[in-house]
Parts: sequence; structure tokens; C-alpha cells
Amino acid sequence: MTQSDVHAVAPEMALSFFRGILPFNSLDDATLNYLARHCRVDFYPKGTRLFTADKTEITHLYLIQRGGVKAFIEDDHGEVTLKDFRGEGAYIGALGIIRGTLASLNIETVEDTFCFLLPREIFLKLVQEEPSFAHYYLKSFSEKIVKTAYKELRHHKVSKRNADDLYLFSVKVGELVKTLLKVPSTSSIQQAAAIMAKYQVGSLLVHDPSDEDNVLGIITDHDFRGKVVAAGLDYHLPVAEIMSGPVESVLSQSLCFDVLLKMMTTGIHHLAVERGGRIIGVVTSHDIMLLQGHSPYYLFKEIKGQQQIRGLYVLAQKIPEVIRGLITEGAKAGNITQMIAILNDHILERMLILLEKQMGPPPLSYCWLLMGSEGRREQTFKTDQDNAILYADPKNDEERVAAEIYFKEFADKAINHLVNCGYPLCPGEIMATNPKWCQPLSAWKDCFTTWINAPDPAELLHATIFFDFRSGYGDSSLARELRNHLNKEAQKKDIFLFHLARQCVSIRIPLSFFKNFMVERDGEHKNQLDIKRQGLTPFVNFARVLALKHGISETNTLARFKALLDGEYINPELWSSANEAYELQMQQRLIHQLRQIEEGTLPDNHVDPEHLSDLERRMLKDAFAVIERLYSVLDKMYPVA
Amino acid sequence: MFDLLKPATWFSSPDPLLRKNKACFADFDQNRPLAEYTFVVCDTELTGLDWKKDELISIGAVMIKDLQIDLASTFHHFVRPRNMAHTQATLVHRITPEQLQKARPIEVVLPQFLEFINGSLLVGHHLLLDMHFLNKAAKEVLGGTLSNPGVDTMRMAQGYKRVRLGHYHEHNPREISYNLEDLGREYNLPIFMAHDALEDAMQTAYLFLYFIKKFRKGGLVTLKDIYQAGRVGSLRY
Repeated sequence: MTQSDVHAVAPEMALSFFRGILPFNSLDDATLNYLARHCRVDFYPKGTRLFTADKTEITHLYLIQRGGVKAFIEDDHGEVTLKDFRGEGAYIGALGIIRGTLASLNIETVEDTFCFLLPREIFLKLVQEEPSFAHYYLKSFSEKIVKTAYKELRHHKVSKRNADDLYLFSVKVGELVKTLLKVPSTSSIQQAAAIMAKYQVGSLLVHDPSDEDNVLGIITDHDFRGKVVAAGLDYHLPVAEIMSGPVESVLSQSLCFDVLLKMMTTGIHHLAVERGGRIIGVVTSHDIMLLQGHSPYYLFKEIKGQQQIRGLYVLAQKIPEVIRGLITEGAKAGNITQMIAILNDHILERMLILLEKQMGPPPLSYCWLLMGSEGRREQTFKTDQDNAILYADPKNDEERVAAEIYFKEFADKAINHLVNCGYPLCPGEIMATNPKWCQPLSAWKDCFTTWINAPDPAELLHATIFFDFRSGYGDSSLARELRNHLNKEAQKKDIFLFHLARQCVSIRIPLSFFKNFMVERDGEHKNQLDIKRQGLTPFVNFARVLALKHGISETNTLARFKALLDGEYINPELWSSANEAYELQMQQRLIHQLRQIEEGTLPDNHVDPEHLSDLERRMLKDAFAVIERLYSVLDKMYPVA
Repeated sequence: MFDLLKPATWFSSPDPLLRKNKACFADFDQNRPLAEYTFVVCDTELTGLDWKKDELISIGAVMIKDLQIDLASTFHHFVRPRNMAHTQATLVHRITPEQLQKARPIEVVLPQFLEFINGSLLVGHHLLLDMHFLNKAAKEVLGGTLSNPGVDTMRMAQGYKRVRLGHYHEHNPREISYNLEDLGREYNLPIFMAHDALEDAMQTAYLFLYFIKKFRKGGLVTLKDIYQAGRVGSLRY
């Protein structure tokens, strides 16, 4: 039907469907009309199998208009693992179409489901022609790469690019290539490693000794770890022994996006770049990820270069935006909170450096301590300030008075600047402005000794956050000395650890989470779950007790768990469950708060289980089972009777 | 009214379009699997509900192939009625008198519609009404009636409910609404803008798809199974 006296438009219902879903909503009406007219609508009663893993060839992108599906895998023994639920507005099959592979998951409808079916050729054309499309679908796949890229971020050399969201789609890979480093295949493994260390590169190309242009293979950091160190290989063997070859290459005029796709599909993160038949260098996934806008990397640079304290106010406000980018790209909660901590630390460091310049150098060396969640590097958005000043012991009264005067003014100004940066005051006044928490080293040591030797359970409740202190800026040797003192004192005192442990298990576990709901029973947050107090704090407390018991200096909860594993204080199975459960809840809390920020409400920790997907609920439930296991460890260690 | 009384329209042989249409269904086989048939789901808007006086003012239709709604194959035309005086009733629809003034007459639109539905089964909600006005127009314009077999989604709904609820519900059938929108809500279908011929045809198409696939899941695999189980339509309207 081509001619019509109305107009050759798709039915309004199809257009409004597309206008309502990402990333289609960014397309103009003419394009939407074209798409809608190439779609079919199908209905699948509940329980219909749409895809079978490794069997179904994906001919259409499925867009769910009404209903929902589950994605799952099934092993040879028929064991089913649920991977995901997808509901209205979600898509099925994009990854398979882009990669040109068969379905990787089984898909079955869990409700009566209507889908729009967009032919694969049309979808592929969109991905190629519409930057927003490529961007959208790419984002959901790039989790793994983001994870590795940000880890190395701080050590990366300066790139000249400005932040721009769509750089991936305009920069050619040839522009990214750094100086080409290559060695003859006859070089020893040790020689190659020395070159990589000297030039701080993660990979080297290996060429034919008699023809420099003939690239035979590539070696990466990974090869040294896996093929040399772990395998106990002789360092004097030629690199040809460990190289991967022939090298996978891309043309220098390829778009970064295409290169990233190639890396994702092949799993190879170092690709050689070829121009006119010659290899001109190597590009890594990390180089490409740095192109993306809102990258933490650019914020670092801006903070570091800031010359005015006032300038930091604005930069601090950019942190949520950067973090949002990480979350939407699927970064893990552990990485995200680390990133928040790093950015906050940089703001603090820059501010204190500028403040010192303004006020003149301090009379004694000092250390700016961070407590509580900041001390554990676990802040989410806009957490209260919890800080203190620790300074070197004055040698005489003159020094003592000078220090008291200087650090009082210093603290007042610093706290004020931090408030302007958007970090609210601590309601409990655990801040450097409080004279109790601005003390020389010896006074701090006495303070901890008192807590440990004469533990008053009520007082201890408020003091726990002090046990998570770390150095935020300044002379970190002072913080280290205090920590050593604390470790030495605490390990001897079982009565102190006993009180901490009892306090820990006194937080009720929401036992049967979703059936007989154990949530807040009254007040403003009735029927909601306090994900921080009920879900996260038990892990934090457990890790703190055991870290103090075993003299572990780490303050970060995940790092404490790792140290406990390495010291064989907890078994690997418990470690991996705890690690996973803790990260998952952190992630849910972050997403919850991000959503609140975007709705313009103040971020809190109260999650309404009604708003969680079935999968999220199940995972939360599993997390609570882990808490029970942690508690039983503590119960055995510090029995009440 | 006047046209209806013209003897010529009654006795001349039907238009070639109608003969072609009839030939399509001369050896109609109801025993093929459902997915092999092409369906056209249609809806009409009228100047009013007087079976004798009122006329078509728009025809909307969408095709179903392989039991999937094909959004590329839609039909949506306004029709200029012979008697514009009746158009007050069109306030119910989203059609303005200006749009009707500009529209083409049934003599132009109907043959196009016939081309569109050629070889397909017709589907409609309370199809009898639509068929009455389509056939009335066909007699006037082309000298005959449509031969397409039809399926009525309202009767499918009745059949479906009979199967689902059992017979004890039948003593109080008035409690059950068979209104298109109410059925859509009852079965949790997406709801579209009402009183636009194409949107209503689309709504009916969703309902049809829902029933036919539910029936098919229940083991009714050919058109004949559907006809027999639900008594959902007839070969002649």
C-alpha cells in the first residue's frame, strides 16, 4: 500500500512506541516512520521459547512492547541459571546481531508478550549510521573494558584530546597510536621486559631480526604474567617463545568504535595498527576508553591544575556526573566507590595545598585524617564530612601554642571550603574543627588506648568510625604510626573485640526478605529496606572486627576481606560470597541514590523492594544469607555464654 | 438511497475486480495451518448507524502475514460521503468535515481496498457491521459483493471465554463486555487511540493475534479448527 489520501505514515501507536524507548527517541520522525513501516508485531503467549542458545539465528531485533522475557543458560545436565529479566521497552538480540553470532542465551516469555520485530539489516544500518545507537548498544557491552581501563587510569600519560562524548565515533585509530616500540624476535624475555618498564608500555611488537618491517607477533604484560612468571620460564629465552602471532591488526583509518567492537568480539585488547601495509603501532582498549567524555581522567587533570580554591567548588559538583557515566557503563560498585574516593581525595589535596599556600606553612607536620566511610573509601554521593587532624608531638609549649592556633584556623577554613564543595557538615561534629579531634599524636594514641582498654559499649558505638581512619592528605607516616599503635593495642584485648563483635551481630538480619517482609515497621520509611544499615553495615562491621583482631591495617571493607583471605583467616568460599554480596548491595545503593539525584530528591538509603526487579530481589536475598554466615563465624569466635 | 434503486446496479454482471476476488476463494481450503493464510484486519468509520441511510467515511486496515502484523502493509483512506449532511455524527471520530470534503469518493477508494484485501481473509470486531457497509458500497460501485471469508474477533472472544470460564458463566452474559477497548484491557494488550479506523484496526489486530496464538497453543492449528471450535466467523457475509 503506497498511495493514501491520508499520508503514508505508520500507525500512531507504532510511532509513539518508538518515541518512548531508548535510543530510538533520539531519531527524527521521518526515520521513525521508516522504521515503524519496516516492523512486524508478533505475540508470544507466556512460556514461548524465542531463542535457544547456540541454535537460533537472530533475524530481527526484538523490542518488547508489552510483557516480559527471561534470559537463561542451561548446562549439559539441564541445570538452569537465570541471567536476566527484560521488560517493556527492553530489547533482545542486539549483541548477536552486531557480532553476527547465534543467540548466546535462551529467551522465553514469562508473560503474554507483544514484540516489535525490526529486521536485522535495518538495525545494523542504524548502528552504523546513528552515533547515538552505536553509543547506546556499545555502552551495555563495554563493562569489562571499562573495568580494566580505569584501573590503570592514574598512570596513563597525558593525551591531547578534549572531552567529547562522541569521540569514539569521529577519531580514527591512527591518531591514537603512540611511538612504535618493537624488538627483534631474538631479544631475550628479560630485555623486552626492561624496555617495557623503561618506556612504561604494556606491549611490544616483535619483528623478524632480518626485516624490521616484518612484524611477527606481539607480547603484552599479560604474557609475562601467564607465560613467564607463572610458568617459571627462563628469562633468557627469546621473546619469540612467548609472543602471540600473527598480530591481529586494524587499518589506521578505522573509527575507534569499530576497533573497540573488534576488541570486544575477539577478546584481544592489543591490536596492531596498519597504514599502507606497514604496522605503525599498537592501540589498546584503554587508549580508546580514555576518549570518552565525562571521563574521570579529565576531572583529575582539571583538579590538579586548579589554582583557586573557589575553582574547586565547581569541580567537586562534577563528580556525580562522572560517576553516573561509570555506572551507566556498567562499572562495578567497588571500582566506582574507589573512583569517588580518588576524586574526593584530589579535591581535598588540592584544597589543602592551596590553603597552606595562603596561610603559610604549618608549624608542625600534620596528617588530615578521614574517618568512617571516607576512611574506608566507600562513600557514595554526598556523604557527610568525617575528618580530623593529627599533628606531630610539639617539643615545647611554644610549639604547642603555635600548633593549636594554626590548626584551629586551618581547620575552620578547610571545613568551610569543603562545605562549599558540597560535602555537608557532620551532625556528630566529628570534624577537624572540633578541638577533641584536632590533636597531637600522643593524645590520639591515648584516646585509642582508652577506647580499647575500658570499652564502654555505648561509647564504642559512636567510636567505631574512628577505627576506620586513614590518611587523606599530609604526612602519612603519622597516620601509620597511629595505626601501628592501634593494631598492637587491639590485638591483645579480647574484651574490646568481644564488644565490637556483639555490637555487630546485634543488627538484625532481614531473615526472610521478600516473603515475610522484614523492613522498617513504622515511620517515614515504612515498608522500605535500609540498604546501608541492614545490608552493608554487617559486612563493614564484620571486616572491621576481624581486621582489628588480626592486625590488618587496611580500612576498605573489600580490601579487609581480601587481606583476611590472604592471611587464611576466612575460607575462600566465604570470601567470594561475601565479596560478591557486598559489591552487589553497594551497586544497588549507588543506583538508588543516582536515581534520587536525578529526580531532584536528597539521596538516602531506603530502598523500596517493590521497585526492584525479580532478579535484583533474588540477589539481595542471597546477600542476606551471606550475612547470616558471617554472624555465625563471629558467634563461634565470641560466644555470649 | 436513490442509487440503491437503480436497476442497473442490480443486474449488470459484477466488476472484474469482484470476479477476481471471487476466483481467489473458489477452492478455498480451510485445512491449511493458520500461518499460511493472509489476514486483513479492518475497521470502518461511518456517518451513523442507520443500516440503510448511513455511509462509510473511512476504512483502515492492516495485514497479518505469518501470523505477524506487518506494519508495512496498512491501508487508511477517508471517503467523501455522498450526503455530507450526515457528517455531524463524525464528531465521534477524529475526522473533520474539511478532511471529508477533500477525501476521494467511494468509487475511487473501494477498488483500492479490494486490491489490498485480494486473496486475504477479512478480520474485524463485529465484522458483520463493517461487511454490511462494504458490501452495500460494493453493490453500488462494482455491482456485486465481496467473497473474502471472514473472522470476527468478537466471536473469537466469546469462544475464548467459553473455553476459559466454562459454561456456567453463560447464564449471565450481559456482565461480560465485548467492547474492543474493554477486551484489550482485560487481556492486558497495549491500548491505542480509539475511533480512528487504522488505530482501531490495529487494536483489533492485536486482539486477533492474541486469540489465534492462544488457540494455537491450545492445539487448534488449522483455520477449520478455529471455525469449528469457536464458531468465530463464516465463509459468507
